[in-house]
Amino acid sequence: MAVMRRGFRREIDALDEIFRFLGDFVDEAAIDDSSAFTINLVVEELFTNMVRHNTGGGEVIDLSIERVGDDLHLGLIDSDVDPFDPTKVPKPPVAAGISERRPGGLGLHLVQTMVDDVKYEYERETRQMRVSVTKLLEP
Amino acid sequence: MFEINRSTNGSIHLHGRLDAAQITNAKEVFSQVDDSCVVDFAELSYISSAGLGLLFATQKRLVDKGGGLTLTNLNPHIREVFRIAGFDNIFDIDE
Repeated sequence: MAVMRRGFRREIDALDEIFRFLGDFVDEAAIDDSSAFTINLVVEELFTNMVRHNTGGGEVIDLSIERVGDDLHLGLIDSDVDPFDPTKVPKPPVAAGISERRPGGLGLHLVQTMVDDVKYEYERETRQMRVSVTKLLEP
Repeated sequence: MFEINRSTNGSIHLHGRLDAAQITNAKEVFSQVDDSCVVDFAELSYISSAGLGLLFATQKRLVDKGGGLTLTNLNPHIREVFRIAGFDNIFDIDE
């Protein structure tokens, strides 16, 4: 199916619209339940990360999603922002007990663990960052 | 859509989708928890790191006082998220 693409307001409250957009894609592309859950979670974590950390960015964050055979491709583009590579964020100490754990850092760890590839690109001229995600779908 | 309510026996029931846009209601309820209690996930279909962070902060506060949350009826997708987050070491999870 063709790539679906849309810009969303840089606000946490835009998540409801994003989930509706993803729901339409999941239905049209016949995505399995487990992968649908992962798609929602990965997009939420990357989007909220951009909203919170790229505070001076443009008004919208662009989201694209496409199924090519058994591969799912997701892309989020944020413009007019400083470089921030989410793939370089240290992994939280998930094997530690509660006394050694601190809040935070889980979102990007979930993203890295639940998909097959995460790629970060930054273009200095346009101050644009792109995060591209690939996930192998259930056969 | 997300709903949270507390039954007369003190247990907390989560319904719908607990995402970053829905966290405020959940925070209000969990901030009032000051003793061990059961959190029922039977009607919860989705959770992200926003919800995980709230549960973690609540658990840390309760464990410091000698208590803790018991989580029950997690669907397989949410159960997997808890496993990846390393929360098997943090919570009592009823299988």
